Amino acid sequence: MTIEALGLEKRFGSFAALRGVDLKVEPGELLALLGPSGSGKTTLLRSIAGLETVDRGQILYEGIDADTISLRDRRVGFVFQHYALFRHMTIADNIAFGLKVRPRRERPPRAEINARVEQLLELVQLGGLGGRFPAQLSGGQRQRVALARALAIEPRVLLLDEPFGALDARVRKELRRWLRRLHEEIHVTTIFVTHDQDEAFELADRVVVMNDGKIEQIGSPAEIYDQPATEFVYEFLGGANRLPCHVEGGVALIAGTRLTTDLPRDFTGDAVAFVRPHEIGVARPNGHIDDVAQVRSILPIGPDARLDLEHVSGHIEALVPRESLDAAGIGVGSRCAVRIARARVFPTS
Amino acid sequence: MRAERPSLIDPWPVRIVVGALIVGFVGLFLALPLYTLFAQAFAKGVDAYLRAIDEPAAWAAIKLTLTVAAIAVPLNVVFGLAASWCIAKFEFRGKQLLTTLIDLPFSVSPVISGLIFVLLFGLQGWLGPWLRSHDVQIIFALPGIVLATVFVTFPFVARELIPIMEAQGTQEEEAARLLGASGWQTFRRVTLPNVKWGLLYGVLLCNARAMGEFGAVSVVSGHVRGRTNTMPLHVEILYNEYNLTAAFAVASLLALLALATLAAKAALEWRGRTEIAS
Repeated sequence: MTIEALGLEKRFGSFAALRGVDLKVEPGELLALLGPSGSGKTTLLRSIAGLETVDRGQILYEGIDADTISLRDRRVGFVFQHYALFRHMTIADNIAFGLKVRPRRERPPRAEINARVEQLLELVQLGGLGGRFPAQLSGGQRQRVALARALAIEPRVLLLDEPFGALDARVRKELRRWLRRLHEEIHVTTIFVTHDQDEAFELADRVVVMNDGKIEQIGSPAEIYDQPATEFVYEFLGGANRLPCHVEGGVALIAGTRLTTDLPRDFTGDAVAFVRPHEIGVARPNGHIDDVAQVRSILPIGPDARLDLEHVSGHIEALVPRESLDAAGIGVGSRCAVRIARARVFPTS
Repeated sequence: MRAERPSLIDPWPVRIVVGALIVGFVGLFLALPLYTLFAQAFAKGVDAYLRAIDEPAAWAAIKLTLTVAAIAVPLNVVFGLAASWCIAKFEFRGKQLLTTLIDLPFSVSPVISGLIFVLLFGLQGWLGPWLRSHDVQIIFALPGIVLATVFVTFPFVARELIPIMEAQGTQEEEAARLLGASGWQTFRRVTLPNVKWGLLYGVLLCNARAMGEFGAVSVVSGHVRGRTNTMPLHVEILYNEYNLTAAFAVASLLALLALATLAAKAALEWRGRTEIAS
């Protein structure tokens, strides 16, 4: 199902949770909403589900205003962060709930409901546990029950709020892979919220990076990683060096290296450059002073080495092949010339 | 686990003193009065006890008390469920005010609350003339007693449920709604089962108070023997007539109710705990 959000705005008291969000979710895609806490990603998810009413804007399900569709008719499968299983019901009753509450004429016969529950229990690899209560299951098992319960109503869209947030690392990895496979099998439009970029990049077809109630960037994991659209995305993805620099006529001087930027030809002024560690090389000093840095430490990582460099513009982390160090005669405490191969430059606002 | 940590165990003298204090307190204020009550009730033998109870005025009082409780408790269950549901599951203007209002009967003397009903519905009251012209009697009749009892017992169910519902949050309800349940289905299949032990507990306390209420009922009842006397009022009248055996006999019935309530409460707590533990 296609879902569109148009100009969504939502305030909680004085806190603006959504500040003009536009988003189009394609049928069958697996979309991640990625952002720090307070960025509005959960509010966006809950608004799409119909659990929050937005102050302004519109949500369309297949082009139809979602406000005109009742919660029951939306057929949203929602998985809560803390599962929200019905604690007084068995696992089987939890999964059957969505079918049992249907009006009599739409309700499948009991035998069919039981068969469906069994089938879902198998799907989430919990066969034979239908008679247990939620409190008797582990976190990962509960999460899968929550998913089976959401799938029982044959949802048109599956929404997951921090689905693996409350699980330990090993279970999280396992469930992640399992969810990916499940999505390939059933192909229901899926949106999940996460603050973990690894999770977003590993699972999603497209990632929506959110910050401060707005969307910073939408793209495939590769697009987001290769071309972060804003300073925030760079910072959030982490790992990049943030170097203050000066731009003249669209050309930046970053730690002694002159680089043509994407900025307009006539731009002149202060800016900040983001450079990833592997986009930095080192060489023997060649007499210039601008690009010289002191090597603080060298940490070998396989064939590469991580260098901590001290440059006048700040601390720089570089990842270079170890042989290039030997070739240039660079060791801890020695001086070297910094070579920036690639950078993304944003004007200082 | 307990015995192996000597630092957590108080020295013997402290344990003896504290233990003696507790036993002494419970004995003096609970066990001794209870014993005296039953001793007095049976002072002239079982026959006198049964005769005191098997008497038209006593039966009328018992019946009236049961009738009042049978009306007041269900009303307060409905009200308590509705109020605690609103307060715990929704955000709205005036929520604080509603919470405070629920506590009002706890903070107002029962006699005052009885008087308020007399001022409202009594012959000289605001609505008195209108009620009289329509031949409706509230004060000194069953409706007045029920009203006063409902008012006094009004916080018990809600007070018991609000913390439980608040602790449970709203996610299960949200999940139910998204799975297609209607508001009523959500309440009946999710909210209500989750609070059933707390609700029963509240009902029990509410019932105990409804049957035992004296002050407010005393003001609105008019003490018409055989017609508007509840059990506590009947006890008072017998006592004032120096008919001690009869007074204590009827009082012992109320005491039995209290003991039964305590036993049921303990059973409920035990049930609730094992269910949570499972």
